[in-house]
Order: sequence, then structure tokens, then C-alpha cells
Amino acid sequence: MAFSVGVVLFGIGLVAIAIRRDLVIKLLALGLTNAGSILCLVAVGDRPDARVPICAVCRDVIYADPLPQAVVLSAIVINFAILALALVFVMRLVEQYHSTDSRHIEDLVQRELDEGGDQ
Amino acid sequence: MRPRPFNLLAIVCTVCVVLVVLLAFHSAGPVNAPYATYVERPVEETGATNRVASIYLNYRLYDSLLEILVFFVAVLGVRFYLGVRERPDVPPLAESEVVRTSAALLFPIAVLLGVYLAALGQISPGGGFGAGVIAASGLLLTSIALGIDAIDRRIQRNAIERIERGALVVLLLLVLLPLPLGHPAFTDLLPKGSPGMVLSGGSIPLYNVLIALKVVTGSWLILRSFVRHRGEI
Repeated sequence: MAFSVGVVLFGIGLVAIAIRRDLVIKLLALGLTNAGSILCLVAVGDRPDARVPICAVCRDVIYADPLPQAVVLSAIVINFAILALALVFVMRLVEQYHSTDSRHIEDLVQRELDEGGDQ
Repeated sequence: MRPRPFNLLAIVCTVCVVLVVLLAFHSAGPVNAPYATYVERPVEETGATNRVASIYLNYRLYDSLLEILVFFVAVLGVRFYLGVRERPDVPPLAESEVVRTSAALLFPIAVLLGVYLAALGQISPGGGFGAGVIAASGLLLTSIALGIDAIDRRIQRNAIERIERGALVVLLLLVLLPLPLGHPAFTDLLPKGSPGMVLSGGSIPLYNVLIALKVVTGSWLILRSFVRHRGEI
């Protein structure tokens, strides 16, 4: 169940990245895909009636798989790093073109390139 | 909004991928998936009862090292693109007395919680990354209440930058130290101690504290760059 929710969240985020034109909303959607993938990883490591994998002798009782949880740490940190860096690039674009609309910015860049080619 | 052909294609592809993944997962089932053997390994291998910490700081230390490098590159990138011109004007302070008082109350708790999580990451839930983010959020709270200049006056920025780079260099040296001693890199040379005690887990507490230092300084530098660039919080 949690895995399915994670996959659906990931899909919603991916669709939003593709079709929404606002750069900030694209970044929010990127965060949503990350949340979905984290939910998937946690769900993969779960077992029925699993316990927290903190134990000296881990036998006789079912423990949650610690490997996906260790991967979640990487996912969170890298998500933070990517979002911070992408936000900086969005800020630079907004300062230069005064718009967060990706298609509008593309048109402006294309016009700049065309004008540069004419000279 | 009129959808373009590329948009429709992207939606169709995404839905297909989602369906395929869901079908594959439900046909295999999480219970039938190969059970990772990390949790069944003897605790003496790493000395840490927290198996997640023993994975990301011992068995798969290279993963965490590369993760820290990615974080370092992100900090460098943010500071490179935002630090070019800093606004000289002072960001406005929060007017609210409630914010100021609660920030003064919560800041020591946040720092204490960070130290606790970093120091005991080998025997309890926690670890360097979470500890660093908690301590950095305490710094952010203080900067909301007192202004970023108050923190800049108390903590030298050069010192923070030196800690950030120093933690990374020490981590790299610790990882490569076994090489001249005749062991493969990433080997844990410290004694494992008795599992469950505070001083156990070999190098894991050391790595946790270094990672916490790296994350708190890196996060603070990122936050500070944003605040300085924008001129307000």
C-alpha cells in the first residue's frame, strides 16, 4: 500500500515537472518525486510486524531491512543539495528575465540567440 | 494551458512506467524479495547496534563519502552563484517579542539535540546528517529572531568555512589512513568496544560527529547565502 502511494506520488511529481511551466512549481514537484521515492524505499524495507533494526543479536524476531533506510539518508541529503542548487539557478533566471515561466524564458533566450546571430 | 505533443508523450510514458513498477512490485511482493543479510550479521563486525548506522558508516562508507562530496559541491555551487554580490543593507528584524523569546529558548535545545543525536548515533536512532540539520535549524531560528548580523558577529564566517572544509579533509584522511598502514581503504581501524555502550562502533561516532559538523556548517552557509542575497529572511 505505502509502496503504491509512493509510486503514484512519484508519477504525479514527474508529470508536474513535465507539464507545469512555472519553474518554482517544477522544483516543488521535484521535491514531491523525492518524497515518493523515499516512501517507496521505506516501504520496501518493511516486513509484517517488523521491529526497529537496533539490536545486538538480531535473530528470532523480524526486523525491518536496514539497507533501504540507509539509502533514504542519501536520498534526503541529495534532495536538499539539488533543491538548493536548482533554486539558485531559478533565482538567477528570474533576475535576468523577470519571469518564472519556463516557456517565456526559452522564447527570450531564443530571441537573444537570434539577435546575436544576426550581428 | 494547451498541451503540446511532448507533454502528452511525457504523461503517457510516466503513467506507463508507474503502472509497470506497480505491477512488478505486486507480482513479486515485498515478502518474497531477497532479504538483505546486513541485519543478520554479527554485531562484532562493526560494533554498532544501530544497523542503519553500521551500514552507511561501515559496510557502505563509500556511499556516505560520495554523498558528503555531493553536499559539498552543492554548497560550493550555491555560494559561487549567490556570493558574487552581497547586499550591504541589514535584513530587517522580526518585530515579535514572542519569536525572539522562543528562539532564545529553543536554540540551546536544538544544539543539544544535535550533539546528542550525533554522539549516540551508533546505539540509538539518529546520526550525523539528522543531527547537523537539527542544529542548523536552530541557527536559522536564531537568525529569524535576532537577524543574521547577530550570528555573524558571534561566529566568524571564516571559522565556519574552515570547519566545513576541515571536516571534509579530515573525513577523507580518515578514510584513506588505512592505506599506508597496509589495509584496504575504508577499513575501520579503531577498537570496536562493547556493543550498546556510548564508546562503541569503532570509527562510527567519529564519522557521525564529523558529518554533523559538515552538515551544520554547510547548511548554515547555504541559508546565509540565500538570506544575504535576498536581503531579508
